[in-house]
Amino acid sequence: MLSVSALMGSAALMTMSDDAKASTEWAEHFQKNYRLMTDEEKAEARTRLERRYSSEYGKKVAVDTTGPQPGVLMGYALNVRKCIGCRRCVHACVEENNQSRGTRPGEKIEWIQVLRMERGEFSKDKMNHGYPEGLGIQVGGNAYTPAGQVLEGQYHYNPEAVPEKDATYMPIACMQCEKPPCVKVCPVRTTYREADGPVVIDYNWCIGCKMCMNACPYWARRFNLTKPVLPKEEMNPVTHYLGNRPRMRGVVEKCHWCLQRTRHDRYPACVEVCPVGARKFGNLLDPESEVSKILERKNVFRLKAELNTFPKFFYFYD
Amino acid sequence: MRKLAIVTLVLGLCGGAFYAVSAAEKAAEPAKEAAPKAPVECFESRKGASEITQRDIKPGWPNVKCSPKTGAALWYGDPYDGTVPMGKMPGLENIPEGHAVIKPRTEKLALMPMCGVSCHNGVGPAFNPPTLPKDKKPKPNPTMEAMVPDLANLQHGRGRIWCMDCHHTTKRNMLVDHFGDPVSFDQPQLLCGKCHGDKLRDWRDGIHGKRIGSFASTGKKRWFTCTECHNPHNVQDGARNRGFAQLQPEASPQLPRGMKDASHEKLHPIPH
Repeated sequence: MLSVSALMGSAALMTMSDDAKASTEWAEHFQKNYRLMTDEEKAEARTRLERRYSSEYGKKVAVDTTGPQPGVLMGYALNVRKCIGCRRCVHACVEENNQSRGTRPGEKIEWIQVLRMERGEFSKDKMNHGYPEGLGIQVGGNAYTPAGQVLEGQYHYNPEAVPEKDATYMPIACMQCEKPPCVKVCPVRTTYREADGPVVIDYNWCIGCKMCMNACPYWARRFNLTKPVLPKEEMNPVTHYLGNRPRMRGVVEKCHWCLQRTRHDRYPACVEVCPVGARKFGNLLDPESEVSKILERKNVFRLKAELNTFPKFFYFYD
Repeated sequence: MRKLAIVTLVLGLCGGAFYAVSAAEKAAEPAKEAAPKAPVECFESRKGASEITQRDIKPGWPNVKCSPKTGAALWYGDPYDGTVPMGKMPGLENIPEGHAVIKPRTEKLALMPMCGVSCHNGVGPAFNPPTLPKDKKPKPNPTMEAMVPDLANLQHGRGRIWCMDCHHTTKRNMLVDHFGDPVSFDQPQLLCGKCHGDKLRDWRDGIHGKRIGSFASTGKKRWFTCTECHNPHNVQDGARNRGFAQLQPEASPQLPRGMKDASHEKLHPIPH
């Protein structure tokens, strides 16, 4: 009994303290899973975080808790023929979403990966001999010939100028699956699908077990191995609780389609900077939206469709 | 007693030294702030088409963030910064008034203010009596080619169209539509759609090209017009032959711990 009262006393003391960080951390320990919080508890958590981030980053930080909007199911489409591999989306994402941007190993986190794929060759003389061997993706010949075998894909390509003549580019990020394997494996159910589509993470409830990273077939999730390096002047003060609020060490993060923007009817940051307009975003329930028009009119495929994850991220070409 | 005196002396000296150092730092700080800040300018889609100068919309909130490596626009603080209404566009009647905005192209085109004034002004021996070109095979014009090098061997349409197919015959600061009526440089889609109808349809539906702002189908969007991304005088170019103008890519991702380079990515399993 004594110990309980002592605990309560110290709790009261901590909450009263002027240090925004200490009092917030204490309260966060007793916070529920975001999905189980009542609206009052969400409001409390929001005020707490706003106070903490504002003192930590020296500016007015807003933590949004806007929920899914009725009649909206977000969808994404990407034109693989248009992508030139300039990686502007990757860096726009970092500007928007407060990722760690240090220089030491594990301190630099990017959610979008751009894969450089070599173009295959289709030569007549190689059509009828050889057996498949080695690694790589076979894009030419037949089942028994290695003709047209290309590299698996390059992440670290760095030419003078893109697009290169013999390459195609394929950006990959979270596919926001309708049946997400990461959600299935999460032992604490901190990652889940929101009603308007995106799969989100309550960073406070994440225990950092990395099960979701193993389960994801699209290499979409990143882990904060170190304390995230986020300079004060580069921090984006417009944040969402389930979106781009600054993360702590030891939690998983990933693309959430810029919830802080899309919940307020604004395109995600990667869509806005793509110089070739390869990235398209819209409401799948609206037949007039650009993604609906693409599904209606273009040749569309999903990455690794055979896994039955049903991504809401579609690749298309003209 | 003597020991105490020495300690006090040492402490005092240290304090003095510390004070001097902090004073020097304080003096250095304003000097750093006073250094003149060059205006940051970045390009949006392709270099030379539409540059924006970075400025603060509100304290700590810039209109655009630029990439220090390539000088490309990386992030928009306000997608509607510096835009004007698009004007009438057939097929976009469902969009509420003022919800389709563009950045005016006219002010980005350096030669625009001079076209109809300096040379093509209807004054001079060539215009007296007023004549129109007799055929569609223009004589090489060194002055024009010096100003716009892409004109020397115009490849648009693989050599099967000429200047007056797009530019208005008498109003040189305008483009021309199928009826011979002038079209503003701010609305190149009305001209380009004459031939590229499939692209115009896709652009109208948001599939081709780019729009920023609100993603709802009737929301307020800034539309990128044709010439913000495509240079109509240079559509097929050397080694690139076709496709988007080449750009310098942004920095590649961090290498995994202990890896010196990414040469493993370039190893072919089977040489070919």
